[in-house]
Amino acid sequence: MVNLSELENDALVEIFNIGVGHAAAAMSEIVNEEVTMSVPSITFLNRADAAALLGSKKDGERICGVSQHYDGAFATEAILMFPEDKSLEIVRLMVGDSVPLQELTEMEQEAMSEIGNIILNSCVGTLANLFDSELHGSLPLYHVGTSAQIMSSFGGPDDAVVLMLHIDFVLAKHQIHGYVAFVLDLSALHDLKEQVSRYLAKALGQA
Amino acid sequence: MTLQEYHMDHSKQVLVVDDSRVSRLMAHQFILSKHAHWQVTEAATGEEAIEKAKTLTPFLILLDVNMPGMGGVATAEQLRALYPHTHIFLVTANVQNAIRNRASELGVGFMEKPITETRIHQLIDSLEA
Amino acid sequence: MPDAVHRLILLESIIGAVNLGAIVLDETGRIVLWNHWMARHSEWSADAVLGRDFFEVFPELQHKRIASAIGQALRDNFQSLLSQTLHKAPFALYTHGAQERMQQAIAVTPINLPDSPRHCLIQINDVTIAVGREKLLREQTMVLRSQTFSDGLTGIANRRHFDVAIEREMRRAMRNSSPLSLLMIDIDHFKDYNDHYGHQQGDGCLIQVAAELAAMLQRPTDLLARYGGEEFAAILPDTDAAQALQMAEAIRQRAAELRIPHEKTGNDVKHITVSIGIATQHTHLPHQPLDIASLIGAADRALYLAKRSGRNRVTTQTT
Repeated sequence: MVNLSELENDALVEIFNIGVGHAAAAMSEIVNEEVTMSVPSITFLNRADAAALLGSKKDGERICGVSQHYDGAFATEAILMFPEDKSLEIVRLMVGDSVPLQELTEMEQEAMSEIGNIILNSCVGTLANLFDSELHGSLPLYHVGTSAQIMSSFGGPDDAVVLMLHIDFVLAKHQIHGYVAFVLDLSALHDLKEQVSRYLAKALGQA
Repeated sequence: MTLQEYHMDHSKQVLVVDDSRVSRLMAHQFILSKHAHWQVTEAATGEEAIEKAKTLTPFLILLDVNMPGMGGVATAEQLRALYPHTHIFLVTANVQNAIRNRASELGVGFMEKPITETRIHQLIDSLEA
Repeated sequence: MPDAVHRLILLESIIGAVNLGAIVLDETGRIVLWNHWMARHSEWSADAVLGRDFFEVFPELQHKRIASAIGQALRDNFQSLLSQTLHKAPFALYTHGAQERMQQAIAVTPINLPDSPRHCLIQINDVTIAVGREKLLREQTMVLRSQTFSDGLTGIANRRHFDVAIEREMRRAMRNSSPLSLLMIDIDHFKDYNDHYGHQQGDGCLIQVAAELAAMLQRPTDLLARYGGEEFAAILPDTDAAQALQMAEAIRQRAAELRIPHEKTGNDVKHITVSIGIATQHTHLPHQPLDIASLIGAADRALYLAKRSGRNRVTTQTT
């Protein structure tokens, strides 16, 4: 589907690791505790497979998603996703409340939206800086639903590709696994690949 | 060239440790662009770093914090014990109080990611002082 | 008056009239707009801050979230949100006469102008009322929850229900001169289960065990309640010691047959089991005071013995 060389893949993973590293530093500053985040791997998938990846053994297990739209040098829908109970856990850890693990109230949705805002802006920001591109980002939108519902709520062509980042989030000994999905149409994907190549060539003196 | 400059330019050994190959290549390149005679060795993991360090007398070691297996901090601790006088720097995009304190406790420095030529050159300059 | 000027005056009036704080910074981070709402709710008038560097006026905000949000707006053209939950009140803003700062929801937005470098807009909303309302709602929910008779997690009777029921059944047993039995059922090594599998799964285990146990108590007067964290109590009216023992053994067996995997029991039985203590109150002497504590105490002691003797067993009180 997408032909990235091993070095190009490495470069992209490293770029996103820097992005989430910055986001972790920002979140650590908010809660005054150690926060680490990393991107162990990335995958390119079609939309159906992306939804399946997030889907779980338990039917109807809900996912919390925070999405932001970016356009400019390239266009993408970026979505941060955690299983619903995990996002509750993150919010509780960040907010420091002993709120019962029931539904996510509006205040907590706002907190989750901000967390998504920090992580997504950080990831895309790092990309944009290294690629020397100009983008514009929207404010975060909160979603909750099954993985299929969330993935399908974003428009775009059926043959859009999803760049999926696996995210490891660690706060106060709680390790939480989530995802960031970038929905890219073919031209955006092409732009991305070209940018990675160009970045490598420049950074390493030669291709 | 002053005597000091001569000593600095004279071949020194640097160990660059990062699980990202691109990261290693960039650091390697930026070091050589400052001192072409320096000898740069790469390692992809903390374990590999410790093995390779034993065969070198490293002047400077750069350690990525976020590595699978033995992370940068644990590796720094071991290397600091093996080489009390080597310049050791933790490299991370996640600069927060926890890492600052840890670096300070271990007697190592830290450098921010992304790794740029400017940052590497500034770091090397600071060693010459 | 020319249209452009009229329009400008109109827009300025609007900025002055909107019910939110608006601060605009230029590309160097200097304050170029400080609307009327900001002046009304802070100690700063527009004259006092216009032209000054934002962080010179607010040095305490350097290196904080809003600093990176401003940077991202000016440099990266990104919008940021500062939620009231994560940042209660970054700015010193007060509603008239209030002692405490107002709770703020903040949005930081880049402003792209055709002939000028990028500017940055900071919008501040007073959300004190919304936050207060939600706190009240939460408190009311907690109160309501404590007034019901069901355990929130498993759906069976809660401790409050048990307390009411045991008194009622004891009284009835006395009146009818019938025996009353009490079972105290405790899941073995439950703390280890929680530690190993996580609280989410621990909760799932409790729900499953509770459901199985509840299904076994068929008679309308029987009651299964969640007595404590991993402890259940079964009130069995019109049940003598022998019948209670039979029931308890059936429960113990059923729980074991669920074969809920438990790697950390510390013995060869690698699945969930329960220990049960039984106490029976036989026909009571008339006009004696109810001794609920005695009955529960006896069942508890029997349970303790069951645990001590190796768990996954049923023990009856010794008189």
